Amino acid sequence: MKRVLGLFTLMIAFAFAASAQGIAVGDTMEDFSLSGTDGKTHSLNSLKGKNGAVVMFLSAQCPVVKAYIERINAVAAEYNSKGITFIGINSNHTEDLAWVKSDAEQNFAKFPMLIDKGNKLADKLGATVTPEAYYVDAKNVLLYHGAIDNDRSGKAITDQYLRTAFDSALAGKKIERTKANAFGCTIKRLKAE
Amino acid sequence: MFSKVLAKTAWCAVFAFLLTGVVFAQERQPAKAKPKTTAAVSPKVIQIDIEGLQSLLAPKGKPLLINFWATWCDPCREEFPDLVMIDGRYKGKLDVITISLDDVEDIATAVPKFLAEVKAQMPAYLLKTPDESAAITMVAKDWSGSLPMTVIIDAGGKTAYQKSGKFKTDVLISEIDKVLKPKVASEQKDASPVQN
Repeated sequence: MKRVLGLFTLMIAFAFAASAQGIAVGDTMEDFSLSGTDGKTHSLNSLKGKNGAVVMFLSAQCPVVKAYIERINAVAAEYNSKGITFIGINSNHTEDLAWVKSDAEQNFAKFPMLIDKGNKLADKLGATVTPEAYYVDAKNVLLYHGAIDNDRSGKAITDQYLRTAFDSALAGKKIERTKANAFGCTIKRLKAE
Repeated sequence: MFSKVLAKTAWCAVFAFLLTGVVFAQERQPAKAKPKTTAAVSPKVIQIDIEGLQSLLAPKGKPLLINFWATWCDPCREEFPDLVMIDGRYKGKLDVITISLDDVEDIATAVPKFLAEVKAQMPAYLLKTPDESAAITMVAKDWSGSLPMTVIIDAGGKTAYQKSGKFKTDVLISEIDKVLKPKVASEQKDASPVQN
């Protein structure tokens, strides 16, 4: 009996560890449904474009996200016309719906903003920072994960990670850099340690 | 004649007395012309690149605590006073350094201003690199870059503790104590009864 219990505990521990790590490049992102700031429920599959989607973790408060508003909107507009749609996700429990809605209307009006109540999607994907992008293809396979570019201030960008990933994928080429981290704001989780 | 000379001398004396009074009065005025110096002196913040970061990650004979932060990061600012307290409490036993991820243009303004406000005395650096991803991985392979981040490296160069997000002060102190007394902790562990 003890052995069975021990094995069961071990299995749960492994499952938790796997889920805590999120998904890796090459993995398939499961479809998800979340309520948007428009009051409607949206799913990844319903919002995805013919060439995929970007699930972008954002914040109404984070100064790094604020520094990226123009760049995010520019890249979203450009690649939306190429079949890649943007989906904003807010997982910060410190930001209420009214605030997120107002911020989305003001700064990210061109794409939907979904509320990740209880940071369940952030936990599932392993998202920890804002802004943080997950780019999936039409089959929901994760092609790129991480930062938008290599300079928060936007003054000295030398590597546009996300655009480069889009361009490579759209051209049918291998994406050279599939992951790039950058310093940003911590997602304020409901069950922070 | 004598009375004229006496009168002149008297007038001169009165004039000199009045002049001296004016000079003294000016000197005694509180330093209106001189700007008041602030109580806290702005600390010097040194810019580093990825090589500089690599060098800083190597302890210099003592355990090392590194805090990654930015002035734009609310939880970073919130935890900083406790970091200053910890630096004071463990002076001589633990090296504490801070690495800011603010813009380079803030290196002589916002960053030292905040450090002065919280009376931070530990060495302060600002990291600027075109490949933050490499820097982040250098610190911890499982770190995404979310701030704040606090790392304790033991005297041998091994990461003993890391916390992404705001630290709990009591937990951090407990982890520092463990690193400072590894032998005591291991002896206690060895001495503890083995449970079957």
